[in-house]
Amino acid sequence: MAEDVLLSDDLLSQLMSVGEVDLLVGMSSHSAANTVRQALDAIEASFQRNFVRQRVVIVNVGGGDKDEDGVVAQGPGNLAEKVRLPGITSLRTSHRVTANVSSPSSPGIALRTILAAADLLRARACAVVSPAASNLTPDSVANLLRPIYREKFDFVAPLYSRNKYQGLLARNLLYPMSRALFGCGIRELFSDEWGFSGRLAALCLNQDVWHEEAIQARPEAWMGISAISSDFRCCQAFLGEKSQATKGLGTDIVEVLRQTVGTLFWCLEARQSWWLDCERSQPVPTFGPAHELTSDPTDLDRPRIFDMFRSGVTELEPILSSILDPETHSEIKSIVSLEEGKFRFKSDLWVRTLYDFAASYHHAVINRDHLVQALAPLYRGMTYSFLVEHSDSSTAEMEAASEMLCGEFELQKPYLMERWKAKVEVKS
Amino acid sequence: MRQTILRGLEQVYGNLVRMIAEFLPRFLVMLVIIVIGLVVALALKYILRALLGLTKLDRVSDDAGASRVLRMAHLPPMTELLSRSIFWVTWIGFILVGLSVLGVAGLQEQISRLFQFLPEVFVAILILFLGAVIANFLSRTALLAAVNAGHPSAKILSWSIRFVIWILAISMTLEELGVARQTVISAFSIIFGASMLGLAIAFGLGGQDLARKCLERYLGDTKKKEDKEPQPL
Amino acid sequence: MRLQKDNLWYKDAVIYQLHVRTFCDSNADGIGDFAGLTQRLDYLEELGITAIWLLPFYPSPLRDDGYDIADYTSVHASYGSLEDFKTFLAEAHRRGLRIIIELVLNHTSDQHPWFKEARSSRENPRRDWYVWSETDTGYQGVPIVFVDTETSNWAWDPISKSYYWHRFFSHQPDLNFDNPAVFEAVWDVMKFWLNLGVDGFRLDAVAYLVEREGTLCENLPETHAIIRELRKRLDLAYPGAMLLAEANQWPSDVRAYFGDGDEFHAAFHFPLMPRMFMAVKLEDRKPIIEILDQTPEIPDSCQWFIFLRNHDELTLEMVTDVERDYMYDEYAIDKTMRINRGIRRRLAPMMDNDRRRIELLNGLLMSMPGTPIVYYGDEIGMGDNIYLGDRNGVRTPMQWNSALNAGFSWADPERLYAPVISNAVYGYQAVNADSQKRSEHSLLRWMRSLLQVRNAFQVFSRGTIQFFNPSNHRVLAYMRQFGEETVLVVNNLSSSAQAVELDVQRYKGYIPIEMFGRNLFPRFGNSPYLLTLGPYQFYWFQLRRI
Repeated sequence: MAEDVLLSDDLLSQLMSVGEVDLLVGMSSHSAANTVRQALDAIEASFQRNFVRQRVVIVNVGGGDKDEDGVVAQGPGNLAEKVRLPGITSLRTSHRVTANVSSPSSPGIALRTILAAADLLRARACAVVSPAASNLTPDSVANLLRPIYREKFDFVAPLYSRNKYQGLLARNLLYPMSRALFGCGIRELFSDEWGFSGRLAALCLNQDVWHEEAIQARPEAWMGISAISSDFRCCQAFLGEKSQATKGLGTDIVEVLRQTVGTLFWCLEARQSWWLDCERSQPVPTFGPAHELTSDPTDLDRPRIFDMFRSGVTELEPILSSILDPETHSEIKSIVSLEEGKFRFKSDLWVRTLYDFAASYHHAVINRDHLVQALAPLYRGMTYSFLVEHSDSSTAEMEAASEMLCGEFELQKPYLMERWKAKVEVKS
Repeated sequence: MRQTILRGLEQVYGNLVRMIAEFLPRFLVMLVIIVIGLVVALALKYILRALLGLTKLDRVSDDAGASRVLRMAHLPPMTELLSRSIFWVTWIGFILVGLSVLGVAGLQEQISRLFQFLPEVFVAILILFLGAVIANFLSRTALLAAVNAGHPSAKILSWSIRFVIWILAISMTLEELGVARQTVISAFSIIFGASMLGLAIAFGLGGQDLARKCLERYLGDTKKKEDKEPQPL
Repeated sequence: MRLQKDNLWYKDAVIYQLHVRTFCDSNADGIGDFAGLTQRLDYLEELGITAIWLLPFYPSPLRDDGYDIADYTSVHASYGSLEDFKTFLAEAHRRGLRIIIELVLNHTSDQHPWFKEARSSRENPRRDWYVWSETDTGYQGVPIVFVDTETSNWAWDPISKSYYWHRFFSHQPDLNFDNPAVFEAVWDVMKFWLNLGVDGFRLDAVAYLVEREGTLCENLPETHAIIRELRKRLDLAYPGAMLLAEANQWPSDVRAYFGDGDEFHAAFHFPLMPRMFMAVKLEDRKPIIEILDQTPEIPDSCQWFIFLRNHDELTLEMVTDVERDYMYDEYAIDKTMRINRGIRRRLAPMMDNDRRRIELLNGLLMSMPGTPIVYYGDEIGMGDNIYLGDRNGVRTPMQWNSALNAGFSWADPERLYAPVISNAVYGYQAVNADSQKRSEHSLLRWMRSLLQVRNAFQVFSRGTIQFFNPSNHRVLAYMRQFGEETVLVVNNLSSSAQAVELDVQRYKGYIPIEMFGRNLFPRFGNSPYLLTLGPYQFYWFQLRRI
């Protein structure tokens, strides 16, 4: 059961009024007051169109923010009177619960509150959405909930339509690595919206990991990996076009790496007993189109990306030497000296690099946060190589290349396992 | 004469036996104290090891980079190091107490002086160690931040930070040990102050154009970076 | 007890609806009759009802359970004679029970002499008493009421070789109220029964009296004019007689039938009924609140009549498609239970024979604003037989005891007009009036005490209603007020225990007295009043300031 200290008296009182529910949608509305109303409308519309008979509730963590008119974005109450869509009948009272969290809400705190509410209300199917997401529609909310409520899945990851040069970190690192190691081909483990069952919520809530920085930053990935490693049923659902990232974080690669790769490595550490025994990856059921790539033109400063890769590898040589295997390091140093036009960061080298980083993270050869930061220049190198290689590729060719990269990760898994279990040698 | 010699020998022999008889109990007490000290030291070692294990000190030490420093010095991990240190400190203390019981002239005074100096030595070692750890950590932090921000002089910045912290740590260590206190303080103040003044003049006055360009480039790079790098997620 | 002179008696009444055929057979022909009904008046008096609404008992081919009338001023031979009716009426009045009878104005049976004459030739004086046409294309777009059996509102008459209009079954031709003679004939029928002493009429299918091209032929102004004229004559000649409208419409549309207090005295609130069932299944007060929010004010002399079940299917006309599907899935998953956009089941089977739910729904019925109607047999929890045709499954013989034919008749069982319910759960051996009279905690005894409490206070029948809006949506709470009487009603619509806090600051200082046990509850103060309720439990609190 949820800890008492997590739930204020006011929140508990609101939950008491709601009672048992079938569906729960949670969101964190800190610093998103301008878009909360639209988000609430979209969620309510989804309930009325797709789940008219079910008992539903929206849990808004961090409520009380004023929008541009100075009006409090929302408060607790019954939604049905406020959002009445033409031609739509709502059979039941639809509830909205507001949890005012005192400190600026990290995603981890918000999720924990949502999980606690889901547990207390015995919600069967839950979803977390981002009020800042521009792609939040009634259908996308329904697509997250339906597989859980109707098809009895436990975790639903989103799938998007993307520009082919977006999401490269997910495409070239997070997805293939998690697929190879955890055996589950979920493309978007790191996202702002996902679905989960009440069963999974209870499991995650009762784990004593909420103080971990990885959980605070990217709890959804940890939830997904917990689901995979606990043999829960996972799937993906197509939600449409990927929402644009918020300013500041979207292209701050170091911060993104910290949150994503750092979390992934932490999960490897926490679930090593699972993935060390995991043999092959299994396909994941998908609802809707598999995922889509578009070829919209983008404007990227490739020379700069390459420069930052080269300077990074050179300047960080002492650090990289303590992280990477000597052979890997040597190969990287050799490609650094190549001309821009001839530079290629081959898949097998990339995979070994990442696995070296993962093993070094496990052995804590240096401060773990520094280790993840040290990956940034190498990621840039990989990105540059990818952009050059696929500048004229069709989306089908890019998909094929992605599949081959996944294969490379699986092929070299024994290498990671060997380094993982080896004794650490100190490199001065 | 023969009687005198015999009487003298008897007296010397008697004194010797008396001395041995007086020394033996003290020797035995010393041994007991040393054995007790061994037991107490071992107990403290295991208790401290268990307590530090609960606090996950090794993990914190890993994150702080202290473990790496220890490994470079072929020292055991932090928990083990502290446990063993407490063992030796305790036991040596008991040994010294035992030795003082022997009543050897002059030894007590030396032992007393040693006891008085030990805390300062311990603190000095600690300062040096912490200095090494902090220098390592901060210089690496600066290096990574500068490299990832595209700063051209990342290594120089990193070494500068390491240098400054080392100077500070050594100065503090020598001051703690009482070695040429005044000289060390003066030298450190001069070096530190001159460095800061030099940087201020060089950067602020002599390099004002460069400073302006650096700032413009920093601000421009930040915006350009947001626009020109692919969205990773 | 004798009848009190009270022109507004219908506002305080508790109505008992029955068909004489179903109640009690005195002559062992397998069909209930007035003599048998008269014998059972004591039972009704003890129950606590104050008026009886009789379903049609006129001579009829009985192709629509008596709503196809072949003679307006007589009694069907199966049910006895006019003298039997007079005896029944006198005995009822002697016990203080008023009698409301059916009057089907809109149509007659095709066996009625009027229609026989009208169809005999186009020149017959009564030809114009019905609505005729050479084609079946008139009044396009008018919906068909009995969609399961009829395909058109026009029927071909092979005798006069023309079409006649019928909104209901094809053997029920509509009367033509554009003909003044029809109106006068109807008034004569009403006078006949009023002179005998009946206290009111339920006017069936009143919305359909008049037809006009380009309309849905419902609720037309001309229909209201007819009603107003009837009412005017009624008030002049028979003050205290009541007209009850059967108009299955939204409350805002039914409102017109009250006029300015110069049309019907009362009308059924059809849309509330399915929403009470829905609210209990959803465990959410929303459907009830919504429909009552949409219910307009009516003149002071007028009244809504409310009910849970009746002789027809539980109509789902006045709900949305989503709501209808929900009701079907929850209450009539077997398609045999469905007919004409409704559910042909009784109250107890719909509640899965859950005593608590049955009590809750009756509690709602008795405490909501309006005159409640109890359908015969629901006071003992009778079951139904969905395998009988049409809506006959809810019109089975009354179960009096565990003897032959449930004590309804001494006839051979095969001769009964319909078989008695005899399954293990609702069979007459398990569910009957006699056994429940003997059991102190039976449903019948409970209903008696419920009616006793209700009848002791006018607040339920005449009071205003104000809903509370507690955060617990599973609790429906409202305040009824009439003069000095103030009653707080709190209902737990859920199958699990609930807690609710009510904002009663306005009533600070009042002492709530639970009305069944007469126990005192803590006084209302400044803070929200906390109540806990068991599954499907309800409270009635009389509020007193002492």
